[in-house]
Amino acid sequence: MDTAELEAKVIEFIASKVENIDTSTITTASKFEELGLDSMDTVQLLFDAEDAFGVTFDGEEVKNLRSVGDIITYISEHPPEGKG
Amino acid sequence: MRIVVTGMGIVSPIGASVDQFWKNAVAGVSGIGGIQSFDTTKQRSKIAGEVTGFDPTAFLSTKQIEQTDRFTQLALHAAQQALEDAQGLEGYQPRRLAVCLGSGMGGFSTFEFSATRRLQNKSVPPFSVPRIMANSAAAWIATRYGLKGPNLTCSTACSSAANAIGMALDLLRTGKADAVVTGGAEACVLPLTMTGFEALFALSTGFNADPAHASRPFAKGRDGFVMGEGAGILVLETEEAALKRGAKIYARLAGYGCACDATHIVAPDVDGQVAAMQASLDDAGMTSGQVDYINAHATSTPIGDVIETKAIKQLFGERAPEIPISATKSMIGHSIGASAAIGSIAAIMTLQTGTIHPTINLLEADPECDLNYTPNSAVEKKVQTALCNAFGFGGNNVSIVFTTL
Repeated sequence: MDTAELEAKVIEFIASKVENIDTSTITTASKFEELGLDSMDTVQLLFDAEDAFGVTFDGEEVKNLRSVGDIITYISEHPPEGKG
Repeated sequence: MRIVVTGMGIVSPIGASVDQFWKNAVAGVSGIGGIQSFDTTKQRSKIAGEVTGFDPTAFLSTKQIEQTDRFTQLALHAAQQALEDAQGLEGYQPRRLAVCLGSGMGGFSTFEFSATRRLQNKSVPPFSVPRIMANSAAAWIATRYGLKGPNLTCSTACSSAANAIGMALDLLRTGKADAVVTGGAEACVLPLTMTGFEALFALSTGFNADPAHASRPFAKGRDGFVMGEGAGILVLETEEAALKRGAKIYARLAGYGCACDATHIVAPDVDGQVAAMQASLDDAGMTSGQVDYINAHATSTPIGDVIETKAIKQLFGERAPEIPISATKSMIGHSIGASAAIGSIAAIMTLQTGTIHPTINLLEADPECDLNYTPNSAVEKKVQTALCNAFGFGGNNVSIVFTTL
């Protein structure tokens, strides 16, 4: 998966998870809090993203993931096993 | 102080509204079938009373669904019905509105799911704990409707909802609340939970090819209970306040009694059951001679139905054979911590309609079960006092008394 494709897929995934937001405004720069997600919503989002993208977010590093772009970077730096 | 029922809601294998449930119960419709929700290849009991077609997206947001176990979703649906039915609770102060629910297992579908992931070294859903905790359903009902008074959960296995309804009665009598949303919810048609009951030889295993006939309380050849799921919710308030606000009143909740066997962790005991029934009548200020219907606990286990029969005979003496009894579980299986709430709704509908629903699959009774169990067909009879029994693991015995006004 190239970067543009991954970006599109992550944005599409996040658009399916947020509520009461114009999903067309979501960009890689969007911070979770700007998307109406509180800290518990974000933890749930990341949990769902693990299954959707076949990654496992490190328990400590998860605290540094604050934006759509952070997820994309993390996934590209930690490709799913056997698919890298 | 007289306490009355002013709202009811139900989600069951034979109906997700009181009207639908009651219509099917009177008609003797079985809600038992082969399990749809998971692969039963490795189960010995492959059947259950499942709530099929339940769609939480119809009334909950994606976020609410992510944060709730199925038992909470079932409770929320029944609570929505009950509160719409009761109407007008907004006239009470929010701090005077309580929730008191029962659940035997709590969010066990989440527990099984999260435990499986943990054992596979996968991440565990962040809402695992708030979904699993037994008080999750009560907390969600309070949050959804702004019920800011006492919020209690009672977990006494199969008698949970009966204890919860009794505790709700006590909250009202002691002035700790003006109205209580009470009842029970359970959703444990699940591989680990069922395997646990299988290991105790508590579940029916001989009717996998004929599920509709598996739950057969008091009948010859019964071989265990059939797992069920569902929720039943009642709204309780004082008769005085209900009349004042012009509420529709279904029945009076007249008495509650409970007693522990203190003998064995799972085996039932006649004395404890008699003590609970007697305590509920004492609490209601009534005598056994006034009871004219019993909604039995009757799970369809070989021993349980015989013990309950003996207990009824011991308490009611020579009147015992005259009292119509019926077993709601013959149609819906055993919904554990929800079962007494569903049995209560059946008892209240009996008071309301003058119809006693049948115990189905009772073509030939066990010789040791020789009372009037309303076999196979509903009976028309004016009932003024109904006793609802619930007995649970841990030696818990609970009875509640409902009467007409």
